[in-house]
Amino acid sequence: MEAIQNEIVAFHHVSKIYNTGTVALSQFHFSITEGEFISFLGPSGCGKSTALRMVAGLGDATEGKVEVFGQNPKEVIKNTNDVAFVFQDANLLPWRTVLENVMLPLELRGSDKKSRKEDAIKVLEMVGLKDHIKSYPRQLSGGMRMRVSIARALAAKPKLLLMDEPFAALDEITRQTLQTELLEIWKREKMTILFVTHNVFEAVYLSTRIAVLSARPGRLSSIIDVDLPYPRERTDERFTEYVDISSQSLENSSTRRELV
Amino acid sequence: MSVQTATTQTKEIVAQSNNTGKLKIWSKSKWKIIGPIAALVVFLSLWQFVPIMVGVQPFILPKPTDVLQAAVEDWELLWPAIQITVAESVIGFVISAIIGIGFAVLLASSKILEISIYPYAVILQTIPVVAVAPIVVIWFGSGFNSIVMISFLIGFFPIISNTLMGLNSVDKNMSELFTLYNASKWQKMWKLRIPAAMPYMMTGLKISSTLSIVGAITGEYIAGIGGGKGGLGYAITVAAVQLKTPYLFACGIAAAIFGIVFYLLVSLFSHFMLRSWHESAMKGEK
Repeated sequence: MEAIQNEIVAFHHVSKIYNTGTVALSQFHFSITEGEFISFLGPSGCGKSTALRMVAGLGDATEGKVEVFGQNPKEVIKNTNDVAFVFQDANLLPWRTVLENVMLPLELRGSDKKSRKEDAIKVLEMVGLKDHIKSYPRQLSGGMRMRVSIARALAAKPKLLLMDEPFAALDEITRQTLQTELLEIWKREKMTILFVTHNVFEAVYLSTRIAVLSARPGRLSSIIDVDLPYPRERTDERFTEYVDISSQSLENSSTRRELV
Repeated sequence: MSVQTATTQTKEIVAQSNNTGKLKIWSKSKWKIIGPIAALVVFLSLWQFVPIMVGVQPFILPKPTDVLQAAVEDWELLWPAIQITVAESVIGFVISAIIGIGFAVLLASSKILEISIYPYAVILQTIPVVAVAPIVVIWFGSGFNSIVMISFLIGFFPIISNTLMGLNSVDKNMSELFTLYNASKWQKMWKLRIPAAMPYMMTGLKISSTLSIVGAITGEYIAGIGGGKGGLGYAITVAAVQLKTPYLFACGIAAAIFGIVFYLLVSLFSHFMLRSWHESAMKGEK
């Protein structure tokens, strides 16, 4: 008997129509189980960020519903630390040091001062920034800022990590380093990660499954199981195959849009 | 080996260029100091000698030496006048800072409150305070209290409007970050909106620091001395009536020096407050 895996996130035929009449997401039906690393891959305007924001309770579905741990996302955000969000830019408070930035979630959640600091230092160690805890964000490079941002998300020990194109603004070398580190953290902390990207290589390198979305209206066009062991080799033949498959399905979804 | 020599060479070159860099910076900044001083000397000498050559009377245009002489002779009158004006301006400024920031935070804490009250704050700002000053005198009596009140009224609006603008200019992503961690309204206010508004607040304070002096002197024109000793504004009106033009100039220059010093002090305070993060405060460092 195989144990039924825990469903972490469920989209039940979700549609999102903005007041302007733009259909950002149409009949999106998808679910994520515990421990997965899912990427939403798609062109800009395909509603992948919209879907992600709903999981964080930052937006409502026009039709259908989104459930996180079987609950309304807004309730989950309100009552627990189980969901964390990493924005596209590091989004750090410029007047706070690295340590103070990472302590922010714990502070807002009202944990006590001493454990707050210990926890923050622990996650900063995890992302390799222990020597920079007293620096201010402006003194750091783009890659380091993103690490702080990830550390801040990890500080409250979330079960589900949502990431909205976090590495899009970084240079290729920094991006690859951070991707590798992210996978290590994912393995060690046994989290579930939902990752939004428009980069095919990134999606294949990171994900257990890739959900390809098409644009205007945004909907699920295909799901790709990436059946490759970690750590993955970017030069590996099968890696390239998966990149081709993903690119193709991305292209198909785009051409279909253009034909319509 | 060759790599090593290359690095030592680079180091030397870097060190050399650092030295020459320092020299260049010094010769540049030297001119930054000498230039304005030279211009001032030229200006003062023209001011000194042109009236002599043209034969202008001191009560029309006094020479710098006349002004200096008047300041020294009437120092016993000038010094208390300066002290009074300083007190009025500083108290007016502090009150406008406290009430301005407090009021802005209150308005920003409730959208309904802001929408209903802020338009009136803007309209009130357009009223020339000089026009309503006599009412202030009726309410608070002539003298110190009225003058402080007028100084406050003039300095108040730049602080409230700048602070409010800052409190509302918070980055959307940061605001969402706080929402994600279930931050309460006041947590958002203290930990996000007020720190984010700091540069705006400081701009407001800088503007008000000079305005509060304008307010104090204008107040003295209107509200007079009220029994006690008068400030610079009062001294200026008296000097004008008595045609003591050199003393009038001395009062004006004293007010200007106070204005500059006060502005610099507020700027210093602002620099100190924003030291840890704001870009514009950091420029001076390099």
